[in-house]
Amino acid sequence: MPGPVGTAPRHAVAVSPPPATEAPAPARPRRRRRYRPAALGWAAFFLAPTTLGLGFFYMWPVVQTVYFSFTKWGPFGGHQWTGLDNYRAIVRDETVLSALRNTVYFTLLGLAGIPISIVLAALLARKGRRGVTAYRALLFLPVVTMPAAVAIVWRWLYNGDYGLVNELLSHVGAHRTYWVSDPNTALVAVALVGIWTTVGYNMVILMAGMEAIPRHYYEAAEMDGATGVRQFFAITVPLISPSLFFVTVLSIIGSLQTFDLVYVMIGRTNPALPQTRTVVYLFYQKAFIENDRGYAAALAFLLLLLIVIVTAAQFRLQKRWVHYE
Amino acid sequence: MVTRSGRRAGTRLATLAVGVAVAATLLLGACSSSGSSSGSGGKVTLSYGLWDKNQVPAMKRIAAAYHATHRNVTVNVQLTPYDDYFTKLQTAAGGGEAPDVFWMNGPNFQLYASNGVLAPLTGTLDTKPYPASLVKLYQLDGKQYGLPKDFDTVGLWYDKKLFDAAHVKYPDASWTWPTFVDAARKLTVPAKGQYGTAALLTGQEGMYNTIFQAGGYVVSPDGKHSGYGTPQAIQGLKFWTDLIQQKLSPGQQQMTDTAPYQMFEAGKIAMYWGGSWDAVEFGNNPLTKTQADVTVLPQGAKRATVIHGLANVVFNRSKHKAQAIDFAKFLGSKQAAQIEGSTGTVIPAYAGTQQAWIKSHPQFHLQSFLDELPYAQPLPVSANTAAWNTLEADILTKAWTGSTPVDQAANNQAQKMDGVLAKEGK
Amino acid sequence: MSSLVAARRRPVRPASIVAHTVLVAAAVVAAGPFLWEALTSFKSLGESTQVPPTWLPSTWHAGNYGDVFDGVPLWDQLANSVINAVARTAGQLLFCSMAAYAFARIEFPGRKLLFGLFLSVLLVPTQLLVIPQYQIMQDLGLLNTLPALFLPGMFSAFGTFLLRQFFLALPAELEEAARIDGANPLRIYWSVMLPLARPGLVALGILTFIWSWNDLLWPLIVNTDAEKMTLSVGLASLQGQFATNYPVLMAGSLLATLPVLIVFVIMQRRVIEGIALTGSKG
Repeated sequence: MPGPVGTAPRHAVAVSPPPATEAPAPARPRRRRRYRPAALGWAAFFLAPTTLGLGFFYMWPVVQTVYFSFTKWGPFGGHQWTGLDNYRAIVRDETVLSALRNTVYFTLLGLAGIPISIVLAALLARKGRRGVTAYRALLFLPVVTMPAAVAIVWRWLYNGDYGLVNELLSHVGAHRTYWVSDPNTALVAVALVGIWTTVGYNMVILMAGMEAIPRHYYEAAEMDGATGVRQFFAITVPLISPSLFFVTVLSIIGSLQTFDLVYVMIGRTNPALPQTRTVVYLFYQKAFIENDRGYAAALAFLLLLLIVIVTAAQFRLQKRWVHYE
Repeated sequence: MVTRSGRRAGTRLATLAVGVAVAATLLLGACSSSGSSSGSGGKVTLSYGLWDKNQVPAMKRIAAAYHATHRNVTVNVQLTPYDDYFTKLQTAAGGGEAPDVFWMNGPNFQLYASNGVLAPLTGTLDTKPYPASLVKLYQLDGKQYGLPKDFDTVGLWYDKKLFDAAHVKYPDASWTWPTFVDAARKLTVPAKGQYGTAALLTGQEGMYNTIFQAGGYVVSPDGKHSGYGTPQAIQGLKFWTDLIQQKLSPGQQQMTDTAPYQMFEAGKIAMYWGGSWDAVEFGNNPLTKTQADVTVLPQGAKRATVIHGLANVVFNRSKHKAQAIDFAKFLGSKQAAQIEGSTGTVIPAYAGTQQAWIKSHPQFHLQSFLDELPYAQPLPVSANTAAWNTLEADILTKAWTGSTPVDQAANNQAQKMDGVLAKEGK
Repeated sequence: MSSLVAARRRPVRPASIVAHTVLVAAAVVAAGPFLWEALTSFKSLGESTQVPPTWLPSTWHAGNYGDVFDGVPLWDQLANSVINAVARTAGQLLFCSMAAYAFARIEFPGRKLLFGLFLSVLLVPTQLLVIPQYQIMQDLGLLNTLPALFLPGMFSAFGTFLLRQFFLALPAELEEAARIDGANPLRIYWSVMLPLARPGLVALGILTFIWSWNDLLWPLIVNTDAEKMTLSVGLASLQGQFATNYPVLMAGSLLATLPVLIVFVIMQRRVIEGIALTGSKG
């Protein structure tokens, strides 16, 4: 739901500003800091399921994946240590480079959806707007719909001969093409669907941010003679920058992991596959179709590094443009 | 606030109930296992993996027939859609969880056999009743791993109504490449979105046939070289790219958006190179069941068609290998072949059992597929067919869309394919 | 609503017209495809491929829906999707709230470190874990079973983080009162904290349910039999079988997404508020 499709919401909150809520130890005043001996036992009890579960299913697998990235697998299982072979192969592989390129394009295009969300949020957050519930619900429908279903429906809409998109375009005299099979247009076509599925989600978050802005800011600006547009850029945008930051980070992390849409919309014999294959799609192909698990593990690890770097960079940059109250 | 109202307790109770339900499901799930399970008291359950849902009724009947004479063995049919079949099979086999008996095809056979995943069939085997090329397809190092279950060839399906409208004579055994192209030209009506034929980017129904017909080959007999770089192969490929270029066939993008067989069923394609397995689909579709017919493929430098067939193989790590091998041999028997044939879904491989299939859709000249047997050539395979099939999809697509000249693409394919074949040699 | 307030007639401002035009256009783009999907699902294949396209089907082919059931074992997959989603949601609600409580309210050594470890899990993309998780399922003998679907999904660092925020925001006095009354942490957790954190639990529950329902990659990998797959995988498989038989595919898509759509329409406000909460609290 956050980001294009199929991303775990768990990413959603990691990247929200921790300082605001994390820093001091909660509630208790410092002086009462004595560990009750029973506390450890209770803590263990409450933490056990999640810690064990996360450790077993999430943390240990990270270590294992890193290990696997240095091995080569046989077609029916079994693996042997091959050192940096996989990484060397990745660097030389042109499909990895094109997959990376495609993924970056998807990410950039995904960001283009954010201004749309901002505008819609602004329109809906305005006090006294009628029909907010209805609009919000309709705009949110794409967000809750299964990505596989979304992909199938849009493939139909994009069909070169019978699709509605081309039908509407022909009324306007615009160019018709085989959107999903044409290597020149496929990526944009899929990215647009990705935007379609996330606009509602981003909009809702931004609306919440906008509704939290005290009205007297606007009233003061009104008295100073500022127009609506000016108010928007001078007040709204800066004050929703924390939500904007949240939405941007989510969008990027989600886009970097695009898989579902490409898997369902673009088939293996689609001439446009090389132009739309993302890193995660390549990972799936290597791991479960070609059974080259070591290579896939290395790919996944590199993706992790990319996400960490990009996210860290965003956090660094946030000081420049995000205003916290 | 903090009240112990009945409603609060209700919510907590609900959570508890769900938690218990979850725990119960977990325990139940952990106790059950996938794959075959052995019963107690000599009763054995075998799992039988396959991918064609049209054939499930026939397979179930065969399983029942086996059970009638082997009361302690029950066979469980497991259907996996083709797209996922081999992906899952490979991973399952790696984990020791493959079905006891399962369908195997030519392209994947050597990979599985050479890695010890399949158990050779033991005991007496009579391989005479099956097409020789298919028997060889499932042999490795002198051991037979499966008995041919069925076979298929590729023929020329055509739309009678479109031919009548264009006043062109129906295709027959006298047709050659030039006759075919000529007819395609007369049958292409751009105004109606109608094409003479469809240049499918598939090996089995498309290019392998024309490569063979031009006198070329795809994999050399010793399995070490690709035939794509030869002039004959390039001719075979050009047959199709020329059709696209002359707009006698839809372009690759259009054929990706809408599957050619569907265009055939919509009356938009006059001639369709398709397999004998299409008889079921075209026999059911409202338009094609009255409008379509089939004949042998046109002749190039020589006559050729691609023959292929499945075999039933046994998992080497099956917990009931002896029974599995016995069932696999039964699957290759005349009795099983007759049951298969009677449902008209595939052509059984056992000699003399094909009549039922021919009669299954009397409106089509299904005999054509059998007429092609004398000059049929087996589907090209190697130890790691998938690897160079992927190359075909990547490289030849460019020739089909016209972004690379055909001979360049063919040479590129030959080069990369040689590399793949060389690695197999180890 | 406000339209009933006839006394104060608000003049229709041009800006308002523009705004509503934009909103209507956006709503059409957002919801239109669903309408088109529904209409197409009732057309015959021939009719759906007519140019120019017809809007309403000339005859209503409910048979397409029957084809979907032929193509995939829909009831089995529906049951699997439900079990998967419910199990994951229940598991997360229970386990994450327990861990969140410990992080928020119990002092113990190494708390910061452990929490940091939890947070680091959030940065890892799912795909990184899929191969080892698959191996684990294989070693446990749980491949191609129902528990394989939901087991890893019952534990979540995100859920823990979210609920911790909620717990932290609760006033400590209620707890103190309970403790003075002699209640142990388990009792406090169950009777005091959970009821108060209801909004957070609801938000997490809804999010997890929807995400579990829509999950594709993990069910695709871990289960092979069609009867053990979830609806999302079944739908992808349906496309493999019906290629470009769009009316049947539309019918399948509708059937697969209908449950969540119905839940959404009913619980709409809760869902959207929950989302908004994660954005603001997070």
